[in-house]
Parts: sequence; structure tokens; C-alpha cells
Amino acid sequence: MSENTEFVKTEQLLKTKKRSQIVDVWRRLRRSNTAVIGLILIFIFLCMAIFAPVIANYEDDALKMNVRERLQSPGIGHWFGTDELGRDIFARIVYGTRISLFVGIISVSIALTLGGTLGAIAGYYGGRIDNIIMRVLDVLLAIPTILLAITIVAALGASILNLMIAVGVSNIPGFARVVRAAVLSVKDQEFIEAAKAIGARDHTIILKHVLPNSMAPIIVFATLKVATAIMATASLSFIGLGIQPPTPEWGSMLAGGRAYIRDNMYIVLYPGLAIVLTVLSLNLIGDGLRDALDPKLK
Amino acid sequence: MRIVSFYLFILEYLFCATIGGIVVKYILRRLLMLLPVMIGVIFLVFFIISLTPGDAASMILGDGATEETIRELRIEMGFNDPLIIQYGRYMADLLKGDMGTSYSTGRSVAGEIGQRFPNTFKLTVTAIILSILISIPIGVVSATKQYSIFDNIGMIVALIGISMPSFWTGLILIIAFSLKLGWFPSGGMRGIMSLILPAFTLAIASTASITRTTRSSMLEVIRQDYINTAKAKGVSKGKVIRKHALKNALIPAITVIGLEFGVLLGGAVLTETVFSWPGIGRLMVESIQRKDTPMVLGCVIVFALSFSIVNLVIDILYAYIDPRIKANYS
Amino acid sequence: MNNKVLAIHNLKVRYLTEDGSVEAVNGIDISVDKRKTLGLVGETGAGKTTTALSILRLIPDPPGEILSGNIELDGIDLMSITEKEMEKIRGDLVSMIFQDPMTALNPVINIGEQISEAISIHQHVTPDEAKKKAKEMLELVGIPGARWAEYPHQFSGGMKQRVIIAIALSCSPKLLIADEPTTALDVTIQAQVLELMKELKEKMDMSMLMITHDLGVVAEVCDDVAIMYAGRIIEQGSLKEIFKSTKHPYTEGLFNSVPNIDDRKSELKPIRGLMSDPYNLPVGCAFCDRCDYALEKCKTEKPEKIYFSETHFAECHLYKENIDFQLNSGKN
Repeated sequence: MSENTEFVKTEQLLKTKKRSQIVDVWRRLRRSNTAVIGLILIFIFLCMAIFAPVIANYEDDALKMNVRERLQSPGIGHWFGTDELGRDIFARIVYGTRISLFVGIISVSIALTLGGTLGAIAGYYGGRIDNIIMRVLDVLLAIPTILLAITIVAALGASILNLMIAVGVSNIPGFARVVRAAVLSVKDQEFIEAAKAIGARDHTIILKHVLPNSMAPIIVFATLKVATAIMATASLSFIGLGIQPPTPEWGSMLAGGRAYIRDNMYIVLYPGLAIVLTVLSLNLIGDGLRDALDPKLK
Repeated sequence: MRIVSFYLFILEYLFCATIGGIVVKYILRRLLMLLPVMIGVIFLVFFIISLTPGDAASMILGDGATEETIRELRIEMGFNDPLIIQYGRYMADLLKGDMGTSYSTGRSVAGEIGQRFPNTFKLTVTAIILSILISIPIGVVSATKQYSIFDNIGMIVALIGISMPSFWTGLILIIAFSLKLGWFPSGGMRGIMSLILPAFTLAIASTASITRTTRSSMLEVIRQDYINTAKAKGVSKGKVIRKHALKNALIPAITVIGLEFGVLLGGAVLTETVFSWPGIGRLMVESIQRKDTPMVLGCVIVFALSFSIVNLVIDILYAYIDPRIKANYS
Repeated sequence: MNNKVLAIHNLKVRYLTEDGSVEAVNGIDISVDKRKTLGLVGETGAGKTTTALSILRLIPDPPGEILSGNIELDGIDLMSITEKEMEKIRGDLVSMIFQDPMTALNPVINIGEQISEAISIHQHVTPDEAKKKAKEMLELVGIPGARWAEYPHQFSGGMKQRVIIAIALSCSPKLLIADEPTTALDVTIQAQVLELMKELKEKMDMSMLMITHDLGVVAEVCDDVAIMYAGRIIEQGSLKEIFKSTKHPYTEGLFNSVPNIDDRKSELKPIRGLMSDPYNLPVGCAFCDRCDYALEKCKTEKPEKIYFSETHFAECHLYKENIDFQLNSGKN
């Protein structure tokens, strides 16, 4: 009887330890001024994405071409001015936030799941499996990430789905490497041996013991990769390989406005700033997380 | 004065690395490893491109072609053969230096690429050299004067630098320095003035990244015990940084330089588009828009090869700087 | 005083961190006579390494600062000279060996160069002569001179420590500070390195400040002993006085912590409790709540130095009234 309650108490203790670990990291994250700025910024962008219909009307502001109002400078009616087809730039930026964040998060999720699985298997089992997987990754890594994404979209055709696949797949080797390194750093520790000794199955060990303890560098990497994914989306759209007009996307807005920069520089300034601020905020958070999760700085 | 000796120091490394002192076996082994990777790369890109929907033959012949001529062309170009056969044929031609003919211009792919490649080379090499020259001194000074104004501002600027997409930076620079101030041309390749803006655009992101890495690895190195040993010997502060810390700190920095070159190659595609620079980056984008498959394939292969060679050079430099690695291969 | 190579008076060192300020060294006086070895004994966190770094003026200056005190090295007042002058003294007049040999050598510079660097800085010789001297130093510590071009990773832990000793002694310093030089080594290697150090000390006519927590090392090598606790020297005396007539309860505790191999049945006697929080040192005696002999006044009054002989003192209230007080172990 008393043994049972001891066990329950221990479990509860472990659960509170896990919870307080997360609280601890949050507290340390809050200490960094730059990380807090990043969090605020990304929160603003998230709100813009979620509440876009409240802020601006999709049909009227972002899509409708209004030749009479084209190329208007920023002012009362149009906070950021209008583009070459008379559409309100501010509204387009707001709706563009949805696309950027959506594609960014989905593509990183693809890369994390597929690449992470590969990396975990390679790291955990080692030997020939590790060798084979690493050789394949070497081939993928020989092509610069953006170029790989460009090639994939070029082959499959430009659409939002293909964009997510392309950016996702091109980031698989990066995630595989990081997860493999994280697994390698943990797998030889003694609590893993202990788990094996009581007969836990391989996939249980990986999911319940190895991964949770090696999460820190993976989380930091994932955050930074969402930033690069957003940049990649904008880049691909800029060269016409991503989101197709008239759907508002920051990169394609820059491509469209390029011819008019001499007299209407706002047309590339604001969408570009949106990219910079989103990517910056994620970089700030990623940096902050890296410091907050670093055991050496505790 | 110190800055000059800094640069001389780095030049000395690069110079000696190319002269020798490195085991030939190591270089040969790395070169050999390059081969299967390139074969894999070519196959991978071939495979990806083969996923393109649509029929290549009808695209080449255009709208007016008849069913008959399309069928004939398909047989002639070998489009009906299984992928592996087509790949084998491509590889065989590649060994002869033939990358096929462009679907849109009918000219030799290899020739076209050969013409444009030096331009991209000029651009990317200038950019990476600029980056290294700026970022390493700043990274070192930031680390030695941690938490100072210089450090804080420097790191914020660096963060912003890695957050700016190269095509946007290019456009802004064009607006500021070309359209408003008129100092530089806004595009094309004519003399050194037209190289400056695109090179700077490319350099910004990689400078920021290398600065951050140099700083953080320098910070770690400074805390090591052997730095204290050097100080306890009476080595002056400057010499401790230059002789004892820098070499160790450069090891991770060099890896990042190699990776940044890859990012630079990707950025070259965008920057060349913005500045109408006649390199293979812009060629690739144009070829994609024109559905000119052999050209696209050729461009990607050349990019991948360049990247791999740069990484090979980095590996060799690595072995030169870190005697522990040299030992593993001697 | 010209028979002392090192004289420290009332040294106070503080570290200012985010979490508060740490009084690492709280007013200590120690001195090392010429050609003698002083052992500085204490647990981790007592302030020993800080003391050593202060002598070399290598306390990292953002968090740490030397608040007050005099340090006189061979007659030179170290607090009043410039950094440039200090650089001339480091490695030449005084040398230091750090704790972990595995990380104390620069991995990308060969060991011959690391030794001859010290020589080139302090002595006006040609690079060739410096190289020759470096090889001689290697031979002196028992490493073939032909290995001068090799790198640290090619040597074992014990040999790395010998290289470090060679570096430290290359300019024949008057004072060698050794911070736990054998702690990181295997027991057999420990004995070898200690032998080497004793031999070299004789040969080079040198004084030593040996920092350690191991009483066995103290017994082997030291002439005088200073026991440090929470930043203060709580007992000091000659080797015989400390070992044979231990006065301070902490020192007694240290001796009792060593297992008695002859009496296997007796229980181990660790010192209970932990060292006080360095951010929050107590008002009275820092050892108070771990002390079996604690008096009321120990909680509120700092003990003063009580002298038992010209060379032996302890900071403890027990002896203020009764200088013949006996500790339980009956050793004094």
C-alpha cells in the first residue's frame, strides 16, 4: 500500500519537475531583452495573421485592382500607399502574414518530422544504417538549400503546396543532422542503458528518453529554420516560383513593385520591412532560447 | 596598426595552406569522396526534374507541331526510354564535357554556362572575401570587449543583417546609392563600379553570420584554461588574442564560412536577378521560366560542384589549422 | 622582509555577479619564506585559487576585483605596478601551474613552442637558443627533447602536466604557485609528478605555494601549512605544528575525514553540513554551524588570531580564555 503511494508521489514529483523546468526556461527567456522584443514582434504578426479579416477586407483592399488609385503615396486612406495595380499595400502585407507564417511553420514541421526521424534512426542505431543515411544526406547537402528548393518547385510547378514541399524537403538534411547529433550526445548516457536493461523497446526509448533530453538544440534550430523558411518563401515568390499573383505575398509584392522603385520606393520598402521584422523576431527568439536552454549558463 | 598585422596573419595562413605541409593523402582522400557525392547529386537533380509535368518534346517544338513530329522527336531525344537509361546517357555525355543543348536557344549548355560562370565567380568570391575581411576583426573585438557599446551595437546590427533578404537589400541599395545618389549603376556588368553594389548586397548576410560565429567561438576560447596558462607566462594581452585564441576560435568560424558560401550561391541567384548581373544564377532563373530543362540541370550541377569544392578547401584548411585532425590522416 | 619571497597582507577580493556579491577572500595574511613550501589547504570554494590568481593579478576584471591588501613579491609591491610591468613578472619571477592538465595546453601549438615562448618573452635570446633551452626543459621533466614538435593531444595526462611544469620553470622563477597540480591525475602518476616537483624545487632553489585539498600531498611536500575556510586563514603553522598539535576544529575535522586504514570498523567522520553560502556569509565565525565545539559567541563575534607559537596561530574563540583547551581527538 505504502509502496503504491511512494510511486505516485515520485511520479508527481517528476511531473512537477518537468513543468517547473519549462517555467524555469520561460523565466530565463524573459530576462533577455532582445528575446522579449522578438516575442512581442512575433505576437503582433500572429495577431495580424489571425485577425486579418478584422483589420482589412480581403476582397476590397487586398485583391481588387483599382487603376485609378494606383501608386499612391502613403497617407490617411492608405497607410502604406497603393501598389502598381491600386491595391492597398498595408492590407496586402496583413494578408501576406498569413501565408508567410503558414508556409514557414508547415514546411519546418515537414522537415522536422521527416528529417528528425532519419536523424534519430541514424544516431540511435549507428553502424551501417548511420553510414547509409549520412551518405544520402551528404548528397542532399551538396546543393545549397535555396537552390534545392528552387529546383523542386521548378520541377513540380509553382503552387503553395509545392512551395511547402520544396522548402520542407530542402531542410530535411539540416534537421537530420541536428537530431542525429543530439541523439548521439544523449544515447551513451547511463539512463539509456538503464532503460535498455529493464527491457524497454527501441522506439519507446527513443521517444520517451532520448528525444526529450536532447530537445534543446532541436528547438533552437527549428525556430531559426522557420525564419529561413519565411525568407525562402519570399525569395521563391520573388523570382516567380512561389505564391502566384494576385495572392498577396511579401516576396511577390517586391517583384511586382520593382519597376517603380525610382519614384515610389514605399512599394518595396514596407513589404521588405515586414520580411525583415518577422525573420528578425524569430532570430531573436531563437537566440534567446539558445541562451535560456544552455546548461552552462545556469 | 594592429588591424594590418591581423590581415597579414590571415593571409599568412591561407598562403601556407596552399603551399603544403598538409599530407597529400588527406587531400586525395577528400577528392575521392567528392566523386560519389557528385554522381549522387546529378542523379538527384535528374530525378527531381524528371518529375516535371508536361511533355518536353511538345515544348521544344512549340504549338504548331504535329503529333507525328512530336513522337519522332521523343524517340530521337530518348524521352521514351526509362529514367536510368536517360541518366546513363547524360553521364556519358557529361564525361565528354557535353551538357546537352538548350531547349530554347539551341546552343550548347556547357558553352553558355562556361561563358557566364566567371561572372558569378567574380561576384561570389568578392562577396565572401569582403565578408571575411570585415567579420573576423569585428567578431574578435566584440568578444574581447564583451558587453561594451561596440559589442552590443555590433550584435544588433549583425542580427538585422541576417534578417534582411538579399533581394530586398539589393533593391534598397539601388534606391539609395544608384537612383538617389547616382554613385553606382543599377544593373549590368560594366567595370568595377557595377560590381560593388551587388557584392555588398551578397556580403551583408554572410558578414553578419560569420561575425556572430567568430564572436561566440572567440568567447568560448577566451574562457579556456590554456588562455590562462598563456597569460600566466607573461604573454601580452594582444598576443594572447592573436596567437593563442584566434587560431582556436577560427576552427568553427571556418566551417561557417564554408556553409555561408553555399547560402551565398543561393543568394547569387536572387542578387543577379535584381542587378541584372550576367551570371549563372540569373541564367538559371531565366531557364526555369523558359522551361529549358538541360540548362537548369547544368546550372544546378555547376552550383553543387562549386559548393563541394569550396567545402573541400575548407576541410583542408581545417586540417592545416587543427593538428588533431591532421594526425588522424597521417 | 628579505627572507620572504612572498608577503600578502590583508587581501580582500570580491566577485560581483548578477546574483549578488561574493567575498571570495576576506582579509588574509600569508607569507612564503625563501626556499620553503607553503601548503594552502581548503575545500572547493574556500578562496585558494582566487588568492593565487590575485598574486598574478589575473582575476578576471568584470566580475572580480581586488578590494584591498598588499602583495609583495621578492620586495616588489605588486599592487602599484603597471600591467606591462606585471607581464614582465609573470612567468619570470613567479609562475603558476593550473589545475587540469588536460585543458591547460593550447591544442594547436606544439609543446616546444609553448615552452620557448616563455623563454623568448623574458630572456633576450635568439629563437634557436630558446628552442634549445626548451628541449633542455623537456629533458629536465623527463620527456625526450626530440618530442618538442609534438602537440598536446599526443601526450598522456601525466606527461601533459610535466610539460606544464616545464613551461612554468623555464625562466627559473623564484616562486612557483601550483594549484592542485595532481588532483586530476591517477594516483601512481600523482606520486611521480610530486617527486619531480620536489626534485626540481631543490635543484632550482625555488619557493612554492602548493594549493591542495589533499593532506597527503601536504605531508609530502610542504614545510608550512595554511588552512583556508570561507576566504579566511583559520589556522597556520609549520607542518609539524599543524599535524601534531592541531588547534582549529575545522582542521581537526579535515584530519578526521581521512579514513583510518588501521581501524576498519570505526565509522567515517565527515564534517557535517556544507560550507556557508558565499553570497551570504554569516556574521560570526563562518564555521560555526558545522562546529562540534561551537560557543554562543561564535554566532555573533568573529574570532581573532590566537598565537600558540611564533609561527602557529588559529582563529578560534575556544582558545581566547583557555589557551590550553584540548580538542576531542586529543591531538594537541
